[in-house]
Amino acid sequence: MSPLLAVVSSLALWVGSALLVASVAIIRPRRLYALWDDLRNRLWEIRKPLAALVVVLIASAIGRSSLQTVSELFGLQLTWAIHALEGDFVAWVQGTFASPQLTMYFSSVYVYGYVFLLAFPFLAYLALPRTTAVKRLVVAYALNYAIGLALYTVVFAYGPRNVMPDLVTSLLFTHNPEFMALTGEVNEPTNVFPSLHTSLSVTVGTFAVLTRREYPLWTPIAVWLATSVVIATMYLGIHWLTDVIAGTALALGAVYLSCRLVDEEV
Amino acid sequence: MTRQISRRGALAGGFAALSAGCLGQTRNIAGRDRSSQLTLEINAPPADRDPNAIRIARHLAENLEAVGVDARINTLGHTDLRRKVLINHNFDVYVGQFREAEPFDPDAMYGYTHSQFVAESGWQNPFGFTDINGTDELLATQRRTDGNERIEAVADLQRTLGQLQPFTVVAFPDPLTAVREDRFEGWTNGQPLSVGGLLGLERAGTSGGGADGRGNGGRRGADGGTETPDSNETDDDNQTDDDNQTDDDNQTDDELIDHNPLTDGDGGADDDATLRLVTTDERITQNWNPLAAEYRRHGTFTSLLYDRLALVEDGEVIPWLAADWERVGDSGIEVSLRAADWHDGEPVTAEDVAFTYEFLRDTSMGNAESPVPTPTFRGRVSAVERATAVDDATVRLTLDNVNDAVALRALQVPILPEHVWEERTGMATIAGFEFDAETTEAVVTNNENPVGSGPIRFVEAAPEESVAFERNPDHFLVRASAADGSTGDTGGGSTGDTADPLAGIPERFRGKPAFARLEIEVVGSDIAAVQTVGDGHADATASNLGPDSVPRIGREADARLVTGQSGGFYHVGYNTRRAPLSNPRFRAVLASLIDKQALVDTAFGGYADAAASPLAATPEWVPSDLRWEDRDADPVHPFVGESGSLDAETARNRLREAGYRFDEDGRLLAPGK
Repeated sequence: MSPLLAVVSSLALWVGSALLVASVAIIRPRRLYALWDDLRNRLWEIRKPLAALVVVLIASAIGRSSLQTVSELFGLQLTWAIHALEGDFVAWVQGTFASPQLTMYFSSVYVYGYVFLLAFPFLAYLALPRTTAVKRLVVAYALNYAIGLALYTVVFAYGPRNVMPDLVTSLLFTHNPEFMALTGEVNEPTNVFPSLHTSLSVTVGTFAVLTRREYPLWTPIAVWLATSVVIATMYLGIHWLTDVIAGTALALGAVYLSCRLVDEEV
Repeated sequence: MTRQISRRGALAGGFAALSAGCLGQTRNIAGRDRSSQLTLEINAPPADRDPNAIRIARHLAENLEAVGVDARINTLGHTDLRRKVLINHNFDVYVGQFREAEPFDPDAMYGYTHSQFVAESGWQNPFGFTDINGTDELLATQRRTDGNERIEAVADLQRTLGQLQPFTVVAFPDPLTAVREDRFEGWTNGQPLSVGGLLGLERAGTSGGGADGRGNGGRRGADGGTETPDSNETDDDNQTDDDNQTDDDNQTDDELIDHNPLTDGDGGADDDATLRLVTTDERITQNWNPLAAEYRRHGTFTSLLYDRLALVEDGEVIPWLAADWERVGDSGIEVSLRAADWHDGEPVTAEDVAFTYEFLRDTSMGNAESPVPTPTFRGRVSAVERATAVDDATVRLTLDNVNDAVALRALQVPILPEHVWEERTGMATIAGFEFDAETTEAVVTNNENPVGSGPIRFVEAAPEESVAFERNPDHFLVRASAADGSTGDTGGGSTGDTADPLAGIPERFRGKPAFARLEIEVVGSDIAAVQTVGDGHADATASNLGPDSVPRIGREADARLVTGQSGGFYHVGYNTRRAPLSNPRFRAVLASLIDKQALVDTAFGGYADAAASPLAATPEWVPSDLRWEDRDADPVHPFVGESGSLDAETARNRLREAGYRFDEDGRLLAPGK
């Protein structure tokens, strides 16, 4: 089996199982039944935000390589500036905390936990009787991607593992080189600023806090997972602290904008 | 040391002075540019693309910071880096590898450092280095002389380059390759990934009976014993669609070259005949222009696409596209060609060869205001004054009064088909607009569907992912050896000749390559590359391996580490057009900030040899005072410090002695801009 196929099928298996368990435990069967009965209507209701997200994702898939070329030729080469700004912070994180157990934990969180974190709230909010939350979530995802893609094009920078391999080990790929087949499909090594892993995770975490009344159990799980993903991006040597801060700002901006764009249903 | 006066202070004092009526002095002070800290940008590829270079850059940056320079590491992909350094000359410092894959003749330094090339783009003198009375003279002398005289000139040349340091040689890396031998063997017979290395490979487990007295049995490592049960398993669940594709291709191939026992031997499993390589270098999936300086690393695969007149393999001179050549008089060389065809079926003629040499000197063929020379092979073609076709199969090269060694280098350029490249002599355009009057189509084309004459042909490519080539069944290696020892018709047409059409070609290359298809896949990093070989998805890695990936090879059951000899020394190149890098004294201090031995241990995991001379791979040319051998320090610019840690104060003193100044915070001041 090719490495990519192996990773994707294992990802589908694990995340699928986790979604199943979490749906039963957090969304509860009653709401799930209601969702099943009303699925078409609800999807129809959120068609506009959904279409926007799909457009952004398709544009990203098609335009990524041309935008990458634009970035290579005309982008601001800021690797040195980011490094000068924060110094060896990421190296310090790795040097201080690295252990085989943590590496395993953060690697799984970075790949499996992240996909689960993005997939589950879509299901959970779709199961809510009102569609405001799911609309906002989808809009926020689209904003994150669109703004992230624009920033990737403007800023041409490599992550710490590529710049200081003597201090920062590329932990994810050293211990799980097969993941590289997957991340290579969806990302360029120069797309580090901002960290989209961070921004999407923080987006989900923020929504989880905002919707704590609906899903009190989900809030601590989401916050825990989001925080883990954010730390993982640096612990694994993939992102700079600067990327993470920019990612967080992007997330909060996207959540704010999505709340402005999608009004509360009455 | 003079105390720095801040601009505000100067202004305040100025107003005071003004009121005192001392306007003249104020103007004298305020009119002077203030010095600021020296900033140097070090360009290097990121760790994923080259695990060694970035470590050298980090080491240098750290030590530069320690002596008060603001060092900035700028990571760039291979293509962007080359464009910046070789084409645009818009850099301070870069870390890179020399383009020769194997140990080379000293004349390689001609193109690299001669001042006649300062204004050209490409591999020729990217440093903008000019040393007219020293280096230029010695480069010219070593071209014309032989024997001891040449040895002396080359020794002096190395001493001069060592003193002036247009670039600092760091180390010659061992060209490490992770290979698995269950499908192809013979990796250790020479350079694993050179043209000769790839052509010399044998199919693993080919039964001895089929080899019809080629006498190559002895070259195989463990004949027949290496076929492992899991080789079939690996192939089965490996590819899906591609396999069918490959099968079809092989069938056609086999019909064409039915006489070749190498493909017959194994029967059945035809996808076994695909040699699969993995690399972190995506450039071969995007561009197949043998001249493009941005896209070629060592040019191995384009050398398999485009034959050269001569091939040098492990020091052995092999007449390749040329069947033979002889010196005619003082400055002539007459080359007779083998019968060969381009991949599109046109015959290779002497006109093509003559065209190639003219074209490489000026890719506009006289159309541009001033010549647009090739960005690679520039030094080699500069030895050829004129090339003329004598008849269909004979070319006469008029040489610029050079010795045999330089003439041999001149024979090693890719021969291009005139009917393809004459279309590319116009100025390069974007959407019909001329962009730069000094760039021709030829140097910027990606050369899609390359038409060469070499032993492999282009099949297909997915940019940044993979590229596939196939064996050229019409190549003289295959065609002539099929005609040579077998029955029936040949279709080659060259059998009328009683002379051996493969005269001069060693046995190990006859009837080759052993693979029917060559696939190169791009992976994310050296570690992923080793893993791919370990998992059986590829036969060998084709790009540099770093200190983190080498130990993995030992852990992979079926993977082995093989190596050869490299000419591609890692070096730090300086843009001598820019102050203070224009000052040889300053460059000498930079050189002494680099602890080569420590870098060999850390950045290369010991798999490299520290060196002072760019010719260290050919020790016969290196005078004893420049040899590294048992020394633990550089013989010319020893590291200022001990085992990796810098003695910053001594280094600062060196800079002070060279005339440079520091501010009160210890920052090195750039000479006023």
